[in-house]
Amino acid sequence: MSSVATPRRGSLPNGVWGIALVIATEGAFLGCLIASYLYLGSRRETWPPPGIPEPHVLVPLILAGVLLATSVPMFFASFAARRGAARAAWLLIFAALIVQCGYLAYQVHLFLRDLDAFSPSASAYGSAYFTLLGAHHVHVLFGILLDVWLLARLTGGLSEYRVTAVRVVSWYWHFVNVLGVLITITIVSAAW
Amino acid sequence: MAIGVRTPEAQARVDRLERVWLERPGVLGWLTTTDHKRIGLLYFFTSLVFFAAGGIEALFIRSQLLVPNEKLIAPDTFDQLFTMHGLTMIFLFVIPMSTGAFGNYLLPLMIGARDMAFPRLNAFTYWAFLCSGIFIYIGLFLGKAPDAGWFNYVPLASKQFDPGVNIDFYGLGLIFNGISTTAAAINFIVTIFKLRAPGMSINRMPLFAFAFLAVSFALVFALPPLNTALVFLELDRLAGFDFFNIAAGGAPLLWQHLFWLFGHPEVYIIILPAFGIATAIIPTFTGRRMIAFPLVALAEILVAFIGFGVWVHHMFSVGLAEVTMVYFAAASLIIVIPSAIQLFAWITTMVTGKPRFQTPLLWIVGFITFFIVGGLSGIMFAAIPFDQQLTDTYFVVAHFHFVIFGAAVFPILGGMYYWFPKVTGRLYHEGVGKLSFWLTFLGTALTFFPMHIVGLLGMPRRNYTYPPNVGWQPYNVAETLGSYILTAGLLLVAANLGWSLFRGRLAGNDPWNGDTLEWSTSSPPPPYNYAVIPYVTSPYPMWDRADREEDARRLDRGDLTLEGGHETIASTVLDAELDEILHMPSESPWPILLALALSGVFALLLTGHYGSALVFVGVAAAVLGAWHWKEPQPA
Repeated sequence: MSSVATPRRGSLPNGVWGIALVIATEGAFLGCLIASYLYLGSRRETWPPPGIPEPHVLVPLILAGVLLATSVPMFFASFAARRGAARAAWLLIFAALIVQCGYLAYQVHLFLRDLDAFSPSASAYGSAYFTLLGAHHVHVLFGILLDVWLLARLTGGLSEYRVTAVRVVSWYWHFVNVLGVLITITIVSAAW
Repeated sequence: MAIGVRTPEAQARVDRLERVWLERPGVLGWLTTTDHKRIGLLYFFTSLVFFAAGGIEALFIRSQLLVPNEKLIAPDTFDQLFTMHGLTMIFLFVIPMSTGAFGNYLLPLMIGARDMAFPRLNAFTYWAFLCSGIFIYIGLFLGKAPDAGWFNYVPLASKQFDPGVNIDFYGLGLIFNGISTTAAAINFIVTIFKLRAPGMSINRMPLFAFAFLAVSFALVFALPPLNTALVFLELDRLAGFDFFNIAAGGAPLLWQHLFWLFGHPEVYIIILPAFGIATAIIPTFTGRRMIAFPLVALAEILVAFIGFGVWVHHMFSVGLAEVTMVYFAAASLIIVIPSAIQLFAWITTMVTGKPRFQTPLLWIVGFITFFIVGGLSGIMFAAIPFDQQLTDTYFVVAHFHFVIFGAAVFPILGGMYYWFPKVTGRLYHEGVGKLSFWLTFLGTALTFFPMHIVGLLGMPRRNYTYPPNVGWQPYNVAETLGSYILTAGLLLVAANLGWSLFRGRLAGNDPWNGDTLEWSTSSPPPPYNYAVIPYVTSPYPMWDRADREEDARRLDRGDLTLEGGHETIASTVLDAELDEILHMPSESPWPILLALALSGVFALLLTGHYGSALVFVGVAAAVLGAWHWKEPQPA
């Protein structure tokens, strides 16, 4: 695998500016979802409404912590790519990918179990709960697709374009992970 | 070629650039283009078609309201017409025309770049906009267009009270449209931050670029609340969710909050490009620099920012807590300050300069006049009792048409005249241009001013007719007459520009003695915009003659001509120091294919084929993967 020295820049590359703005707009979107959840909750005496089980607390929080931990390999992957270490970057992304896939699989399992317990179309709580979680899962899934694409490209070594791509995907994951924590706290807060 | 090619070496460089930047000929070239100028033209003609459609809808509305108890249009068709009129003018005309057409064509030129930061994304935004527009209009042709007004309040727009697919065209079409607009806004921000010519530090950036920066940031943060509301709406309608269903603990008011959290910034998104165009035209036609340049730049940003804190003034009649309303009333009044700064700066620049009242400046004078009228009636709405008295009357319609048509569209029309020579290489007819202005000006005043009066008399908006004995008829006759005159004025604009396209006198590079960089290149500009990336030392680079003469010498030397490949430069964000050479992508089939895949997704969602929609999501993901497979390479 070849190594490419990244040019010295006085500012961030365009791709990183691009993802920063995607994060801004997606962050605003997920922020609106969270705010809507809290708004609907604030208008009810009991939240969740009678007949719907309270959300689990411990497992989702642990899961969120696990996902957040994948920011570490993603950070070092970006670090390695910028120094031209394609193989190290590949391995770090691969390690993160395994955990992210496991996370998503377990989350989907919990999601389906909740769907058996209560419906998104019987109460505003159910609607907000499943929409918020579903939106998060879609973001995780998209990140996994980005990882797969990146790993396929990195087998051919690094180029300036791919170094930026690693940085962009890494930024994206930090965003998803932090939002994952915020969304989990929002959901879990109904049990307090 | 703009600057003189004086040596064989310079000529060889220009020839090389011609070859490198040449795109495929014919229709295929247009379908795969990444040239910001061609994309700008596509945006221009498409949004013009939608402008015509929205105009025809307005003429139907006005004709129906000419006399009491008129039966030209059935009530339910009337609902569809005013909803589509609003949707079309806001989402399919003003925004794509101002950001898509003017922004795309002019911004890279004004900042001395050869393309947008993300050329393929730029092409995608156009195709997605086109597809979303067609998507929404299919509803109209099926007789099932959205019919709950452009702000689409629930529960009226819920499945229970609007069971057809009408509202789904609205919900899904606007999500689709929002993807395009968000991507375009991100592209503008990165372009403005990173692709400016060396020396164009942030304080030397044209005010036009400041306006577009403010608009783009507003879009990045304003569209998410709308998208949230639309996702909730469609989940409620298609999957039986309960976000807005009171019986199941939902809240219709949530729609209003989310919608206006988008809707009010949207007003500034509509009008800020117009401010930008005004600040481009005024210095040129008064022959002097803008007064209070930094204040105007800050005011542009501030308007966009404060716009996010005033949304509840659209909801004063809803029954919210008084303390909430008072807060938002006060916040709404604050907007007067940045608006007035700009207004006084324009007026002072004109009064202290030597204004040449040619057609473009006339439109700006018209804009200022109508902005004052619409602005003053806007301030009145910050008074809560006044708002509660006049909400949902024609007074509101009068107010926002003075702002949105008088103040936002007039500069667009002025801008069409102003940059027509640059885009086509020919001059429009000045006499007909002035006539078209006066007709449109009179038509606008006659159409919208009487609406203040009938509004005060109590005529409600959105009603398909009115009774004969309440004294509203004379005003309605005047309004309808005005709308015909207005139409005649707009047709004259189109006729003038259409005729001049073929018969107009040749314009040369700089017919106006303009102040910004676009006037330094040839008319129309070559695909690479500038044979040599210009160096900039002031906000009025065209008035720095020595700099532009130096450009010609730099072309001789090959200093930043970048004729080696499909390249432009990136500079640092604040100081615009030369930072790196960017290898830009060239023509690509993937953007249009991605837009088509998304069209499939939305069409299948509309028709209830969720599994197939998922397949098209997969297609879209595959297209994205293929898109990014080919990397822009150094030559």
